[in-house]
Amino acid sequence: MGEVIVITSGKGGVGKTTTTANVGTGLAKLDKKVVLIDTDIGLRNLDVVLGLENRIVYNLVDVIEGNCRIKQAIIKDKRYPNLYLLPSAQTRDKTSVTPEQMKKLADELREEFDYILMDCPAGIEQGFKNAIAGADSALVVTTPEVSAVRDADRIIGLLEANDLKNTHLIVNRLRQDMVKKGDMMSADDVVEILAIDLIGVVPDDENVVISTNQGEPLVGNDTLAGQAYMNICHRVIGEEVPLLDLNIKGGFMSRLTSMFKKY
Amino acid sequence: MNNSVIIKGTKSGIILLLDPSLDFAELKGKIADKFQASTGFLGDAVMALSFEGRKLSDQEQREILDIIYETTDLNIVCIVETDERKEAVMEKCLNERLMELSANTGQFYKGNLRSGQVLEVETSIIILGDVNPGAKVVSKGNIIVLGTLKGNAYAGVSGNIHAFVLAIDMEPVQIKISDVIARCPDRPKKAGKHAERNPQIAYLENGNLYIEPLSRDAINDIKLF
Repeated sequence: MGEVIVITSGKGGVGKTTTTANVGTGLAKLDKKVVLIDTDIGLRNLDVVLGLENRIVYNLVDVIEGNCRIKQAIIKDKRYPNLYLLPSAQTRDKTSVTPEQMKKLADELREEFDYILMDCPAGIEQGFKNAIAGADSALVVTTPEVSAVRDADRIIGLLEANDLKNTHLIVNRLRQDMVKKGDMMSADDVVEILAIDLIGVVPDDENVVISTNQGEPLVGNDTLAGQAYMNICHRVIGEEVPLLDLNIKGGFMSRLTSMFKKY
Repeated sequence: MNNSVIIKGTKSGIILLLDPSLDFAELKGKIADKFQASTGFLGDAVMALSFEGRKLSDQEQREILDIIYETTDLNIVCIVETDERKEAVMEKCLNERLMELSANTGQFYKGNLRSGQVLEVETSIIILGDVNPGAKVVSKGNIIVLGTLKGNAYAGVSGNIHAFVLAIDMEPVQIKISDVIARCPDRPKKAGKHAERNPQIAYLENGNLYIEPLSRDAINDIKLF
């Protein structure tokens, strides 16, 4: 039986979709059969980040409404044999789907996949309720900013209210140099406020933007962010991986020195 | 139609609404007419009677009762007085008693209160966890946070000026005790700097809200009725 994981944040623009793409791809690289579901109906973009936009024929709403079979709508990734995507509809809105329907869909997919990742839309309205309906656990993504942390706090509260107690935190776009100067919250500060388990810290890395624009997830490559995402994947499947904070520090310092060497 | 006498039914009896401007003798006639007309409807029920709209002397009340006995089969067992001043006193007593109860009895809440969550209790409340920014605790009694208070805490909301708010780590957005509200300074502490982490207590004195470290003196000043 597969596990349904919702990736959510409350605030927009903190990296839910990027995280979904990278964690999903990473899990597929670890030989898990993974399907990513874009639940952001009306604002489709997970397919773009994965570079699969041109293959969409059917979408989530088509499946829910019975216009096609699940198999027809799910897109197989060209690079990873274990990775699949169920794209969202672009021409509809969040009210086209109900939480009950999403739960039913998730339960059907459980039979076949090891992991079902739900990319949740920003906000706490219908789209959020749809995305969390069938979920067993949640990855809460936040950046080290007060606004994002505040929204994450609200989201965790709402998840708890919906009996989703298995929540883990991803601190995204951390800048170790700013943390050192005291200009940015550290991952520990964020954890202290939100009081849930940290599953990974992803540094602010320009490679993420590059990979997103190319439609090629960077998980597992030799960039810092790629390694950070891979570590998260290992932790998702239950492996113990040493905390990343030190890696970031070391990695960042070595990058700094290499930069100085260049000039 | 004449509205100088109106009969209203309640659960336990009837209320007689009387026109205050009429002469009493004239009113008596109208009362008699009214009851005469509704004898069949009222039957021989046992009930209480109360008067509204007009101040009546004992003599006048007796006269009205006589009329009712004569014209109907009703069995009036008592006259209920509705005195607004007395009611106000009663309510005040009740409120004070309730306030005492709310301050002296309490309950526990385990867990963190997160942004958007509101915890409302009739009694005092002890929270085993943090109150995060954007969350709110509302209590008719005292609020004790065994964790960090970073949200809003409203204590003694029914008007208890002796209520207090106590927290292991006091960084509230707003604190309200009774009707007095105070907010945190606009300039927040630098993030991540917890220089002193002492339990602090917020209380009301002469209409001002004070927050001070929880010392023996502060505990001595707590008033629990």
